[in-house]
Amino acid sequence: MASDIRITAEPVDAQRCKFLVDRPVYQGVRRFADRGEAAGSPLAEALFALPGVQELIVSGNLITVVKESPEAWQVAGKAVGAAIRQALSTDAPPIADRPPATGAARVSDDELYERVSDLFEQQVNPMVARHGGRVELIDVQESIVMLRMSGGCQGCGMASVTLRQGIEGMLNQYLPEVKGIVDITDHTSGTNPYFASAKK
Amino acid sequence: MEAARRLQIDLIVASEQPSTFEQARPEGLITLDFGRIDWSVQRARRVAASYPFQATLGLDDDTVVLATAIENALGRGRNPLEAVVAARDKHLQRTRLAGGRVQVPRYGVHTIGEHVDAVAASMSYPCVVKPVRLSASRGVIRADNPTQLLEAIIRVGAILKSTDDAGECADATLEYLVEEFVPGYEVALEGLLVGGELHVLALFDKPDPLDGPFFEESIYVTPSRHPVSEQTALIECARQAAAALGLREGPIHAELRFNEQGAWLIELAARPIGGRCSAVLRFGDGTISLEEIVLRHALGMSLPSLERERNAAAVMMIPVPGAGVLEEFTGVDDAKRVPGVEDVVITAHRGETLVPWPEGSRYPGFIFARGETPEAVEHAVREAHRRLHFVLRPASP
Repeated sequence: MASDIRITAEPVDAQRCKFLVDRPVYQGVRRFADRGEAAGSPLAEALFALPGVQELIVSGNLITVVKESPEAWQVAGKAVGAAIRQALSTDAPPIADRPPATGAARVSDDELYERVSDLFEQQVNPMVARHGGRVELIDVQESIVMLRMSGGCQGCGMASVTLRQGIEGMLNQYLPEVKGIVDITDHTSGTNPYFASAKK
Repeated sequence: MEAARRLQIDLIVASEQPSTFEQARPEGLITLDFGRIDWSVQRARRVAASYPFQATLGLDDDTVVLATAIENALGRGRNPLEAVVAARDKHLQRTRLAGGRVQVPRYGVHTIGEHVDAVAASMSYPCVVKPVRLSASRGVIRADNPTQLLEAIIRVGAILKSTDDAGECADATLEYLVEEFVPGYEVALEGLLVGGELHVLALFDKPDPLDGPFFEESIYVTPSRHPVSEQTALIECARQAAAALGLREGPIHAELRFNEQGAWLIELAARPIGGRCSAVLRFGDGTISLEEIVLRHALGMSLPSLERERNAAAVMMIPVPGAGVLEEFTGVDDAKRVPGVEDVVITAHRGETLVPWPEGSRYPGFIFARGETPEAVEHAVREAHRRLHFVLRPASP
């Protein structure tokens, strides 16, 4: 039943919110850059039908929704949750596999993946390891880097500083072809964050 | 950080412990020692020489003092440093406010180690023991008689010594106030000073009585439901307090009480409300955050509407459910389904040791609600809280 599906929302900022579902949604990672890419994926179609939804990233049981509307996530999230429950309550696979990419774009993302992966392993991870953290590159799709934090970074009160001032800054500096980053970490499940969250 | 991104402002983030990226990203991350003002000002000067920045913002009690010192050192301070220092130090603040004819509780300042029998004999009751330099009501204890006062002072002494060991009270600030308890209802005022003029951003009711023995915050509701005449008196009290302290620019957060003797200033801080609770405030068409207003003001950018949105709003700082290690929490989804509730955020992590007031100062999470009336949003956060369950195990000794 749709009502049995448990979803936890974790807003990242005014545009992005992560929805953690209590069951697998998609094996792997798939990004939907626009409504046109959603065709054939019932969950993506349902979410793009909501006002203002611009982009989706589905990874395992985590759905990251990017919207352009000014509505707060506390409000918009309820419609997103209802759409997710509705899409997952049928027998149809909620997300279809990604169609084969055109040669040039695919190679570009693959190349970028390798470069980002090298940067993460050689520079980023040795740095965050000092605080017991690790950053995992999940995928690169259309020059958008998807990553997941763990260890001391997961749930850390300074995770957004690490993400924006550290990782994003390094990507801008060394790989300017990267168009953006998406953190798909479930920060609410962090059990050993390096810094505590804000008091008030 | 989100407000800065929206405004396309580049940030240099300063922290007390070094970021792991500091060496790789010196233009975006620096380490300062918030307890060593002069050293940190010199460090900030060197950073400014390499990476010029336009403004320095502090977001809590300690960093506001440092940010003001940096701005003054760079020749563009908008508040006198002594005004911000006075707002940080409860004793200095009381002294300045009393001198400025702002109604404040009668108080005396003492130091841990003083002969407590003399302190107890000199007081009228009920009274409140309050560390001079701690924040978030940490260590604030009501005493109704001399025995309770002695117990409270011993307890506050232990808290101060423990924080001093941690370096929080760098200059051995073992001072505490003993002041009269002011009966009456309490409110919080969020404001922005622009050229010495106070713009009220929100006046929050605190519907749960804060009568002690400890003073953990609970629910903030805005708009206020108190009579307009009393709201006016409370706002005027905050305005006089800011002026008496010498503050002219930037955000303020004030705690005030009201009773048959009028408005009382309990505390005023030269900073905005905490970063979690600030999510309860939205301005203009509902898309402008408090942080955006504060950033715009600091940078001299045009200010948008300072009018809070039309809806009523509430935030509950979830009470610490007890002392112990958080093993599990449940009911978050159920709590989010309460009509009017916009978000339930559990900030404590599994395995974290929860410490109740007065020793503690960290809430396990926050509940936000928005709706047509103050009554509706207050009911929503209470109902959501009722649906949450925390499982604790005893902390290791």
